[in-house]
Amino acid sequence: MTVYQEKISQIKNICYSNDKQIKTVIATRHFIANNFEKDLKLDFLSQKRFMSKYHLQRLFKRYYGLTPRQYLTDKRLEKSKENLKNGMSVTETCFAVGFESLGSFSTLFKSKTGKSPKEFQKEQLSRSKLQQEF
Amino acid sequence: MKVTLISIPVRDQEKALKFYTEKLGFLKKKDLPLGGENRWLTLVSPEWQDGPEILLEPAPNHFEPCKVFQDALMEAGYPYTQFDTENVDVDYDRLIKLGVEFSMKPTEMGTVKVAVFNDTCGNNIQLVETL
Repeated sequence: MTVYQEKISQIKNICYSNDKQIKTVIATRHFIANNFEKDLKLDFLSQKRFMSKYHLQRLFKRYYGLTPRQYLTDKRLEKSKENLKNGMSVTETCFAVGFESLGSFSTLFKSKTGKSPKEFQKEQLSRSKLQQEF
Repeated sequence: MKVTLISIPVRDQEKALKFYTEKLGFLKKKDLPLGGENRWLTLVSPEWQDGPEILLEPAPNHFEPCKVFQDALMEAGYPYTQFDTENVDVDYDRLIKLGVEFSMKPTEMGTVKVAVFNDTCGNNIQLVETL
């Protein structure tokens, strides 16, 4: 066993010994990943796992480093980039990934990527056109 | 400021280029001569070609402390860096078939599954799947 494997084993014993909690957060993450376009609420996610929303939020943050809301937002942004790259319109993309307002989607998109959805799409489409031409 | 590059020290750039492209599947992005045998050699992920680049840097051949550090990490089994993957088990099976040596088989560690392989250029590299 290498020194690294020993360390990993120690960390596992200290931080990841509660299988029930780990299974709960993994199931929650999978549920969010598979239902990101729906109107997901922490109340609903916590009821599914038979625990309080505050406890679920704490556990999720502890094991993934993000709150369920932050994870959901990241997932929606990741999917929105895919849709925009594939030529879907900004409005369609916004609602397809679960955002309820075009304004808040555009503002969030720009704050996370540095570009508006339209600018991002234009750049991606011109890049793929250039690649085809050369 | 933006993060666009991660540097991986390698003993032999040509050998590293072959390993990282032919076995791991990265794509060569930039290859510029830097005098002597040295090159500014970068790679990208096929599915994220405008994402961060990996610089295969011949630092251990030119700066002894880098070699000492790299050797110490290798001996202790510590990964120099890590790559995300959708499925560690699938990559493990694929790389084993290609003759890649693993010092750690896929192992669950809380909300991730990890495995560690030897890049044949002086480094252990960790694969990580978020569970």
